[in-house]
Amino acid sequence: MLRYTLRRLLGALPTLLVIVTLAFVLLHAAPGGPFDSEKRMMPEIQRSIEARYHLDQPLWRQYLRYLSDLARGDLGPSFQYRSTSVNEIIAQGLPVDAVIGLTALALALAVGGAVGINAGLRHGTRWDYSSMALAVAGISTPVFVVAPLLILIFAIKLHWLPAGDWVHGSPSHLLLPAVALALPYTAYIARMMRASTIEVLNSPFIRTARAKGLPLRLILWRHALPPTLSPLVSFLGPAIAGLLTGSIVVESVFGLPGIGRYFITAALNRDYTLVIGITVLYGGLIILFNLLADLCYAWIDPRVRLR
Amino acid sequence: MLSACAVCLIAGCGNPQSQTATPDAAALGAAASTASAASLTVGSALAAVQAVSRGLDDTPRSIDPQLTTDVPGQRVADDLFEGLTSIDIGGKASPGVASSWESSADGRLWVFHLRPNARWSNGAPVTAADFVYSWRREVDPKTGAQYAEGLAPIENALDIATGRKSPDTLGVEASDAHTLKVRLQGPTPYLLDLLAQQYLYPVYEPAIAQYGDNWVRPEHIVSNGAFVLRENVIGSRITLEKNDNYWDAAHVRMQRVIYYVLPSRSDQAARYLAGDLDWTDSFAASQRGWLKSIIGEQVVNSPYFGAYCLGMNFQLPPFKDNLPLREALVLALDREPMVRTMRQGMYEPAYTWMPPLPGYDAPLPPWQSLGDDARHALARRLYAQAGYSAAHPLRIKLYTPSQDGDSRHFFEAIAASWYSILGAQVQLYEEEFKVLLQERALHKLPLFYDAWIGDYPDPYTFMQIRYTGNGNNNADYSNPKYDQLIDAAGQEPDNVRRYALFEQAERILEDDAAYIPLYFYATRHLVKPYLRGWQSNVMDRNLSRYMYLLEHQRQ
Repeated sequence: MLRYTLRRLLGALPTLLVIVTLAFVLLHAAPGGPFDSEKRMMPEIQRSIEARYHLDQPLWRQYLRYLSDLARGDLGPSFQYRSTSVNEIIAQGLPVDAVIGLTALALALAVGGAVGINAGLRHGTRWDYSSMALAVAGISTPVFVVAPLLILIFAIKLHWLPAGDWVHGSPSHLLLPAVALALPYTAYIARMMRASTIEVLNSPFIRTARAKGLPLRLILWRHALPPTLSPLVSFLGPAIAGLLTGSIVVESVFGLPGIGRYFITAALNRDYTLVIGITVLYGGLIILFNLLADLCYAWIDPRVRLR
Repeated sequence: MLSACAVCLIAGCGNPQSQTATPDAAALGAAASTASAASLTVGSALAAVQAVSRGLDDTPRSIDPQLTTDVPGQRVADDLFEGLTSIDIGGKASPGVASSWESSADGRLWVFHLRPNARWSNGAPVTAADFVYSWRREVDPKTGAQYAEGLAPIENALDIATGRKSPDTLGVEASDAHTLKVRLQGPTPYLLDLLAQQYLYPVYEPAIAQYGDNWVRPEHIVSNGAFVLRENVIGSRITLEKNDNYWDAAHVRMQRVIYYVLPSRSDQAARYLAGDLDWTDSFAASQRGWLKSIIGEQVVNSPYFGAYCLGMNFQLPPFKDNLPLREALVLALDREPMVRTMRQGMYEPAYTWMPPLPGYDAPLPPWQSLGDDARHALARRLYAQAGYSAAHPLRIKLYTPSQDGDSRHFFEAIAASWYSILGAQVQLYEEEFKVLLQERALHKLPLFYDAWIGDYPDPYTFMQIRYTGNGNNNADYSNPKYDQLIDAAGQEPDNVRRYALFEQAERILEDDAAYIPLYFYATRHLVKPYLRGWQSNVMDRNLSRYMYLLEHQRQ
């Protein structure tokens, strides 16, 4: 297992290198630079600013410089936010996204899991149909509709919860964004768990367990639940990486200091270092959580062996 | 909607402590009259807690006044720092760190007398040497300041910024700790307005020497304005607190200012309605009608020093040497109905390049007074004269920025108008903003979105754009007669004569159909009725140091 983990981690390095290279090439290929603005500078002034950020050097040299900085864990200075480094921006934003994302995930797992398994156990009943109707509605309602609705109801009309802003450790500021973010995940998990429950309950080993006369409770908890969870585990890897790196919609609607918004704003502003920085972070997290998912998989499902 | 009794009741129980700094009588009168907001009772005594929450359209690029280039950065810098001149409540230049000044007869040498009681937030005096250091820093190519060109009127500034001279040759010198001499390239009647620009604010050398780029962090920053920085959460919130060392601290009532960064205008409106914000940086044009219907007078618009227009490239076909075609496109737009209905009555239709400015009499073009039919007929005649007809219509792309969703239907209306009046076939072509900027700067686009916002209230900030070879002359317009007038204005110390020269220059732009005017910008804020001490102004600069809150209660 340890060897497997190490090998997977080493194998991630070339993947990350490809991510960095692609992001670097694509960004530099896009027309316009970080210091082009609606109010143009004299060319000499623009050149001296670009020289300050080594943008005057040949591209391959900038690339090598970036790689060597990256190897030391330095993601470079942000072009868009002068006098701020990408490391600082991520250090400031990532914990916020992590708290909201993990809260949303916990909500989604608890609610979605319970609803989905319940629907699967009562397959074909009114329970099943009504909860799946809700789940379809949940998946198809975009966050940019849900979030303002939550604000309208709970902040503007009822004045129960703040309409936004972020205060570390304040549950009331956490609740609305987490619920808004959790909704599509809840619905997705509910559907997935229902399908998986139905499939597992119809499989031969459950039939065998029943034939042996095991009590239903034991069958469900010991034999049915673990394999039911396996599709969830492979879904959770990328989902956690996505949740940790924030949601542009939730962040902007609630005015949260996360990093999700930079996926778009930094690219539009040609903030090369910031875009590559968060792309590498996102890529690294996906690789990491996929690995964790695979390890969990082996633990849950005895048929999977890691080599 | 609210009975006057409720207002009196609240007014009666005013906090006795706040009586020492009671707002002036005019404000008191206004307090009673505007307390009609849906669910608010506004008193007339100062609120016990003087903390204002202001919306901000984006995260400032920097808090460093010499590096920041955007409006949010300017708003925060205006509260944290103060230049030789400051901005008064009406947006005009007023004495700041300098309490008085005099200039030579030719307007090229200025002497500023600094207040002896002007202090940094750590108690150190603000001296003439601080300004010498700061301005040299701004033009030093090593600093990489994007607005270094803003110091152009100061002797040698451009040569230093472009690396031809060393920073210590800048035309500024400290005669003693409180006397600053400034030598200019030529007479600059707008100098006092320029000095209140954030890139001419002083910065504190010891902090920069010690902490480098990190000097702007709350734990290191030293500033000389009415407020100090307490917290800066990128992408979320900037908190300022009153600076007790500020020379005019006795007149600053606001104790705390919180700027909330909310790039989406509709989110800003939602936060305002939820009671989280007292003042928004802006609101979406498309929501104006709805906001007006629920909060009425709290929706505030006023003219802003910016112009929105379309550019035609003078060096590319079909516009090169084609005055009739340019004129036809300028004439074949019904600005009044288009701007009034499609832009929600927020903006004023434009007929000139310069937005309205007190003292400047923008010459209206002769066609402005024509009726619709006469103007359309003239446009069709010019279009035909340019060689176009129903069989050979003008086919052209109009390049617009893709991010400006609010304006898309406006551009569609322009194309439709040209089609219905002239038969021209205009295709809208959206480009990502940075791409559009680059192609426009390289003069590759024949017909494109163009806009300009003035830096200081003077015609020069607009007129310089059309000068031959100016970096922002996107249309590549060039007329020697125009350049001569601008040059003459640059040598003219008398503002009345200067403005007259600019008016003549503007007439040349109109005769040449140098651009297609659309509308002038407007400031747009949502403001709670209990927030006082601010005025709409053409530069849209509203310093928190004048603001105060009246007692209020949500019902």
